[in-house]
Amino acid sequence: MPKAGIGTTVIRKEAWDKVTGNAKYTADENPAGVLTARMVTSTFAHAKIKKIDYSQALLQKGVKAVITGEDYPVLSGGLVADRPPLANGKVRYYGEPVALVVADSEFDAANAVTFVKVEYEPLPVINSLSQALASGAPLVHEHQETYKHISKDLYPQPGTNICDIKKIRKGDVNQAFSNCDSIVEAHYSLPQSDHIAMETRAARARISPDGTVFVKSASQAPFGIKKELSSVFNLEQGKVVVEVPFVGGGFGGKAATQLELLAYMASKAVCGREVGIRNSREQDITSSPCKLGLDATLKLGATKDGMIKAAQMTYLVDAGAYADMGPRLSKAMAVDCTGPYNIENVSCDAVCVYTNHPYATSFRGFGHASYTFCVERTLDKLAKKLQMDPLELRKKNGLAPGNLTPTQVPLTASSLGSLGPCIEKLKPLINWEEGERIELGNHKIRAKGISCFWKTSDSSPDAVSGIILTFNNDGSLNVNCGCVECGPSMKTTVAQLLSEKLKMDISRVHVNMDVNTKCSPTHWKTVASMTTFMQGRAAMRAAEDVCRQLVSLAAVVLRCPPEDLEVGGERVYVRHEPSNFIHFKDLVHGYQYQNGNAVEGQIIGRGSFIMGDLNLLDKETGKGKAGPWWTVGAQGVEVEYDTEEYTYRLIKAATVIDAGKVLNPKMCEALVKGGMCMGLGLGTRENFSYSGKGEVLDTSLRTYKVMHFGETPQYLVDFVETPLENSPYGARGLAEHGIIGIPAALANALSVASGVELDELPLVPETIWRIKTGGRA
Amino acid sequence: MIPFDFEYDRPGTVGEALTVFRQLDAEQKNPMFFGGGTEIISMARMGNVKTGAVVDLKAIPECRVFEYDKDRLLIGSALTLSDLVEAKRFPLLDHTAGRVADHTMQCKITFGGNLASTIIYRETVLPLLLADAVVTVATQGGLRDYKITQIFRERLQLPRGEFIVRASIEKRWLSAPYIHVKKTKNEKVDYPLLTVACLKADDKIRMAFSGLLPYPFRDLQWENLMNDKSLSFPERAEQISALAAPHLLNNLDGSAEFRKFVLNNTLIKVLQTLKGV
Repeated sequence: MPKAGIGTTVIRKEAWDKVTGNAKYTADENPAGVLTARMVTSTFAHAKIKKIDYSQALLQKGVKAVITGEDYPVLSGGLVADRPPLANGKVRYYGEPVALVVADSEFDAANAVTFVKVEYEPLPVINSLSQALASGAPLVHEHQETYKHISKDLYPQPGTNICDIKKIRKGDVNQAFSNCDSIVEAHYSLPQSDHIAMETRAARARISPDGTVFVKSASQAPFGIKKELSSVFNLEQGKVVVEVPFVGGGFGGKAATQLELLAYMASKAVCGREVGIRNSREQDITSSPCKLGLDATLKLGATKDGMIKAAQMTYLVDAGAYADMGPRLSKAMAVDCTGPYNIENVSCDAVCVYTNHPYATSFRGFGHASYTFCVERTLDKLAKKLQMDPLELRKKNGLAPGNLTPTQVPLTASSLGSLGPCIEKLKPLINWEEGERIELGNHKIRAKGISCFWKTSDSSPDAVSGIILTFNNDGSLNVNCGCVECGPSMKTTVAQLLSEKLKMDISRVHVNMDVNTKCSPTHWKTVASMTTFMQGRAAMRAAEDVCRQLVSLAAVVLRCPPEDLEVGGERVYVRHEPSNFIHFKDLVHGYQYQNGNAVEGQIIGRGSFIMGDLNLLDKETGKGKAGPWWTVGAQGVEVEYDTEEYTYRLIKAATVIDAGKVLNPKMCEALVKGGMCMGLGLGTRENFSYSGKGEVLDTSLRTYKVMHFGETPQYLVDFVETPLENSPYGARGLAEHGIIGIPAALANALSVASGVELDELPLVPETIWRIKTGGRA
Repeated sequence: MIPFDFEYDRPGTVGEALTVFRQLDAEQKNPMFFGGGTEIISMARMGNVKTGAVVDLKAIPECRVFEYDKDRLLIGSALTLSDLVEAKRFPLLDHTAGRVADHTMQCKITFGGNLASTIIYRETVLPLLLADAVVTVATQGGLRDYKITQIFRERLQLPRGEFIVRASIEKRWLSAPYIHVKKTKNEKVDYPLLTVACLKADDKIRMAFSGLLPYPFRDLQWENLMNDKSLSFPERAEQISALAAPHLLNNLDGSAEFRKFVLNNTLIKVLQTLKGV
């Protein structure tokens, strides 16, 4: 029997490289002769660029070129082409790149950027969603109507700051509310924040004399870079080669294309010489894209027995200065807007809004952590009003097979998973029966909060994935896949699936760690917790393809019908007579007869996958299928709260998730724990603060706080397994999900503990104090 | 990366340090004394500090003393904060030093560097203010002793080219009842909303603060209120908070109003813990 396969813990393939520090990331290698580019960034959130004088910078030691937006009047963007790689004419956020200095060394570039003088004429700043939506508000983008839309389902409102609206209209909300016994309404406000991946973003580019552009990047989307570079700069796709080594954390932030465009422009300015650009932490926080901000108003209505009948919601997304993934994020919120609950009457507007804040891109959970906060806080309020157990309320209203989603997709056990069992398993983990709020004496209170979640992806229907399999002479397998290894051990998962399917030892399955768009089959992007599903489906097909070839050749060699043959243990054998077999090694590079004749060539397997049956949402009702299936779960947070000081300690965080099938137990657990840790970061400390002029104030890790290792609570993880029938071995994606309900569960716990409704984040003691006391000492 | 070149000197004696600094200054290199380097490096990286030369004081034996001299404890300025924490000789100072930055930084930041910091908190001065420390300064005229209050008002006030060699504390303070409370926005390692250090002697509480104002301080009027037996604990706290309120810092770590609340609360706790006077 093979070692490994699925369902047992496997150490990630690159573990030794990583624990010894041998793993190489994009900016780790700096070959001689590579030039360095540095950004000059905007010191205003909204201003006309009157003049950029870089004459003195050009005279500095080692400077090879200085470029500005005027040199490249192009627009980029994954959904809407609205963003010049270097600001042109005006700047729209604090930290926006306005010029690029290319020099011999980082040292020379850093010196020279101080000699670039930019003259600005300040414009009125859109510093909040309410300012953006006020009538007569200054426009962040004056001519939205001229922008090229890459995505077909965008509904911008030129002449306003609205770049997209998604509507959900299901049932009759007004009628339903009039039949409700209990109605709660609340407003929520969540700030923008950052990804803070350990590796800051970096890219290098060179252009060979034949015009081929080579890019190396810390990216979750090498194939996206290829597509965008070729479209923005009119390059032949075959002449753009993107390479991605290990990525030191992405969390969605590295799915956007930004530095790659700058690296290309820089290289072009120096006749194709290789140029590297690497963000400082400060630039990574302000200049590169961040996590969205959200203002939301929710109204839920229920009958007195606790059945939720109606939901009305407005989600206003602070997408910042450029659209990037913003419209897709607000769409994702609309698609899953109710949380995993069966509500027959739903009205939801998800509005993507431009402001003069740093622009937002995908972030772990893809908008779900944000809207889930609002839904789950409102549910707690409803439970309170109904005097119901909050877990019971959730269980009672949980979606079930046969129900329709907000976009009217009929659910099945396979596509939805099972929320009820997750809730049941969560109870003992957080000792729910002992009560939500326990007075410990000494002005300390222990309190629990809970939250449920669901998430589908909002992938393009034409998102593709692929796997190519080849063999070594000794019968071991080589896997060539296009997913990026950015942390969740994707490559190992692919190896595990193949090891199971081909019944071979996982140590004999060799996976490419680096991705090169010239040799690897296209994989959409390593995002959306879709990689196991998409690459897995491709891997299954590829495995079947090699099996077919192996069996067909072996049938000749073993002189038996192919249907009598089985593959396993690197052999093809006769099912009813296993002693009659042939080794892979004697087949995979062709079979050689005694006399020296050889037949068949090497065996090459191919497998591909396309997302397929998704479609665009109806403009007026939102009806349509945005994602292929869901992952559901239930979470809890326990805190110890001090009623005198408004401080608290994190005691426990727990998640029970329907994994479909747990492929790699320890890895799944670690992913969920990592998600919870990030969720606690959002809940307890992470946010951007702005000055009145829209300047980001938390520009470094001195003031932008992330969870420290020593502050983590006890993490508890458990799984439910409801197979996803169309996924390899039933597995669902779960890489993002640990984050989704945690900020809500934390706020629910602290609301219970403090006795006030905490409807904003992050929840630092001062926030609780302000809400509790009105802010007067 | 630090985007400029600078000279690095590591003199072995106090005299050499003074001389080399003077020479570099004459050469207009704008020299700086260098302890752990955490501030110079992080600020130079961001373009907030520019210097042509640094003079590292860590190889000077007098700056590394940590010993008793008759009835006093001598604490060298080039000791790191983790040296202080691990030695456990002056518990109030150990506690204070142990809550400045994180452990990695404490292994770099020096005692003298923290006192001379341009970042407003300078928390290790608090125990010195309370224990009437004497500070030995290297001057062009040789070593000179000052009372801490003579050379530290809001920040270190030394003429250019002079540096702290050591501080000394009378032994009797080392074992005095003390309390150290640091309150932050939400986590252990952060700048203070307030740090208060207290020593109790002769039935009186001495207290010094960081984080409330843009500098660390000890205020005798506040101390008098703190020790006023005619007032209840909450009354004392309230009167001090009222005095402080108009001046309190308002920054990303916390608003002035919240600082007032935390101050009031903390003072009551201090009084309860030290059992008042």
